[in-house]
Amino acid sequence: MSDSPLARLNNLDRRWIFLAMGLSIAIPILLKLRFPEYPGPMARATFNAVEAVPEGSTVLLSFDYDPASAAELQPMASALVHHCAARKLKIVFMALWPLGKKQADGTIDRVLKEFHPGYQYGTDYVQLGFQSGNEGVIKLMATNVPEQYKTDSSGTALTSLPLVAGVKDLSAFKLVASISAGYPGAKEWVQYGNGAMPEAFSIVGGSTGVQVSQLLPYYPKQMEGMLVAVKGAAEYEMLVEQKYPVAKPEVIGQGRVRMGPQLVAHLLMIALIVLGNLAMIAGRSRGGAR
Amino acid sequence: MLQRTVPIMILCLSGAVMVLAYFITSAVSWSETVNVWFNVLAAVAYVLGAGNLLTVNLEKISSQRPGWGYSAITLAAFFFMLTVGLFKIGAVPDPAHPTVHLAGDYETAASPYGWMYDWVFSPLTSTMFALLAFYVASAAFRAFRAKNIESILLLGTAFIILLAQTAAGMFLTGWIPEGSAFAFLRLDWMKIAITEYIQTAGMRAITIGIALGVAATSLRLILGIDKSYLPKGGGAA
Amino acid sequence: MNGTTETPRPKQRLTLLWISLAALGASLLVLRAAVAAQADPTGEATRSLWTTVGVWTAALLTLGILSFLFRDNPFYKICESILIGVSAAYWMVNAFWTSLVPNLFAKLAPTLVRDTMLPSLPESPTPIADFVLACVPLLLGIMLLCRLVPSVGWISSWPIAMVIGVTAGLKLVSSIESDFMAQVGATVQPALAFDASGSFAFWATVGALVGIIGVLSVLTYFFFSVEHKGAVGKTARLGIWFLMITFGGAFGLTVMGRITLLAQRFEFLFRDWLGIGG
Repeated sequence: MSDSPLARLNNLDRRWIFLAMGLSIAIPILLKLRFPEYPGPMARATFNAVEAVPEGSTVLLSFDYDPASAAELQPMASALVHHCAARKLKIVFMALWPLGKKQADGTIDRVLKEFHPGYQYGTDYVQLGFQSGNEGVIKLMATNVPEQYKTDSSGTALTSLPLVAGVKDLSAFKLVASISAGYPGAKEWVQYGNGAMPEAFSIVGGSTGVQVSQLLPYYPKQMEGMLVAVKGAAEYEMLVEQKYPVAKPEVIGQGRVRMGPQLVAHLLMIALIVLGNLAMIAGRSRGGAR
Repeated sequence: MLQRTVPIMILCLSGAVMVLAYFITSAVSWSETVNVWFNVLAAVAYVLGAGNLLTVNLEKISSQRPGWGYSAITLAAFFFMLTVGLFKIGAVPDPAHPTVHLAGDYETAASPYGWMYDWVFSPLTSTMFALLAFYVASAAFRAFRAKNIESILLLGTAFIILLAQTAAGMFLTGWIPEGSAFAFLRLDWMKIAITEYIQTAGMRAITIGIALGVAATSLRLILGIDKSYLPKGGGAA
Repeated sequence: MNGTTETPRPKQRLTLLWISLAALGASLLVLRAAVAAQADPTGEATRSLWTTVGVWTAALLTLGILSFLFRDNPFYKICESILIGVSAAYWMVNAFWTSLVPNLFAKLAPTLVRDTMLPSLPESPTPIADFVLACVPLLLGIMLLCRLVPSVGWISSWPIAMVIGVTAGLKLVSSIESDFMAQVGATVQPALAFDASGSFAFWATVGALVGIIGVLSVLTYFFFSVEHKGAVGKTARLGIWFLMITFGGAFGLTVMGRITLLAQRFEFLFRDWLGIGG
């Protein structure tokens, strides 16, 4: 007597599952599937936190991720830079990850220089670059930014750059945003930045889906806003583009593009879990009947 | 003494300085100095890691163990990237200081180092992590079994989150009016309730537990009670 | 190499299959390139040579890593070896230029560094004090590198002790401040919630109660000094349920993250490399 088809699934070669997952992502990309987004409360809170910063204030954007996480985080980083520039905020870029500096440079080229050509280096934005030391960097910056960063990323002394010449500590910034993929990242900014001077500035964060669980306890008291994975990025992009549209929506629209394959792949995950359980039940029934 | 007492004293002193800096204003400058030393040591640790890589792979090549060819490839890639990066070969000169070669920008796409980053390092790293998507699917099929109440809760929550974070959530329950008595049946509402209340409560408790553990371990280290970081055996106390 | 015991004939068939697929793929790409060249005779729409080489390199490396899904193979192993070598070098180069040069060498020999590496390095008002203080991390750094020499490796415990001490000192206060007190403060909120107009807010009250009960029950579960029996046992069981819901939610978010990574790689392969689906 042969096993039922469902029971045979228990012995399924996992490469068929890999193939199914591959197709569930490839086909929506090739067919350019898009779905509407409905901004949730966290994305709205992040949007409102940036909107609440007075025009002309200085904000600090920390790019704490690398290319491995850029798929999830670059869309929210691009939207955040565009949002800050559209609100005429002065932007200071930095990174706690070595590769974060390159991500920031790319975002400056693709977003800031493209959509806000009037932004001048040194007076409207500065790239401080990467510093090793993880949370030690934040700890030192909380009390003494010039000690941590003597020069910007290209070796120019901070005293020569009007935007940051007078910056002493983190209280010089009205908003600190950390786009983070792990350690060090948004959690450390809350612990060492917000912890050192809780009322001096707001913190908003964007994180990968994996890391967001660690950040949930900080929202909304210690972190005013939080963007959760590519979904949060898509929702935030929608809010930003509604108020500050751009000539090239594909640059500030990657989050919504990447949500296309998510639906099919998520349905596949659910189907796999259900099939796996049905296979288990069928296998048990077969064993019981024997 | 050199192998045990001195490291313990260094740890206690550096830890105490960092703690005191929170409470004594005049100790803040000491903690800033110690922080800079910490950053330098963190950078030296990378050099240590690279040194270890060289040791392991050179030993594999010299003893001609199976797979030594791959070690040769590793070292070739390592030395190429290291050379173009440390000596800024092909770097774009700094316009303000064109004669100072080592002041150039070596990370731009026009330089060999930048090229390696954009077209070798970045794709390899991203693809390595992208493999996880396949393994998550395989794990979901093989390991996620609803055998008891706890696993049913886990799977049920996973289903709600998986549906709610895509357009399927709005398609299935978006027709329920937001202000109605049945609004709690909307998947997006359930997702918010789960993440902002239940998941937050769970993670908050885990965070509190971790904080107590970290504080206890840090205190044990700074007070010299925990000496697990010291080298095993040898040396007088 | 990996100890498989396939018979020669199936292995030859598999090799033949891969070679055929590669040849077919290469033919299609050459055909496509020829068609594209005909459609764009001036070459305005084409990329620079190095970008083209880069795209092909990245695509082949991506396919090499993905080939592991079928089975472990030399192509994957080569890509993995390249990744290890390039990663190690990247971290080292970054550490050198972003930390060692400005924080150590610039203090030990500021004139030399200004002349050869950082022409914009500002003059320090206290060069001698900077030099003396920089000798400490220099010495500790050399001690750390001694770890590579077994006979004097024990000396590396001094800088390691400093790193541990600094980390412990930082974590001790920050974890109590941000992860303990702030979290307890966020949990201990009024159980009855009222909206801005002073009316009783039902769902906000439910949320507050769920938060308090959830945190307390999970903490009860993690409290192993008391046996989980009776009321404590029931509370711990409730805590487990909260944890299962927490992990279920975390799984759902993790899935999204992983799928996004894979989607990005497919986008690169389809749009940037093959030029389809764009």
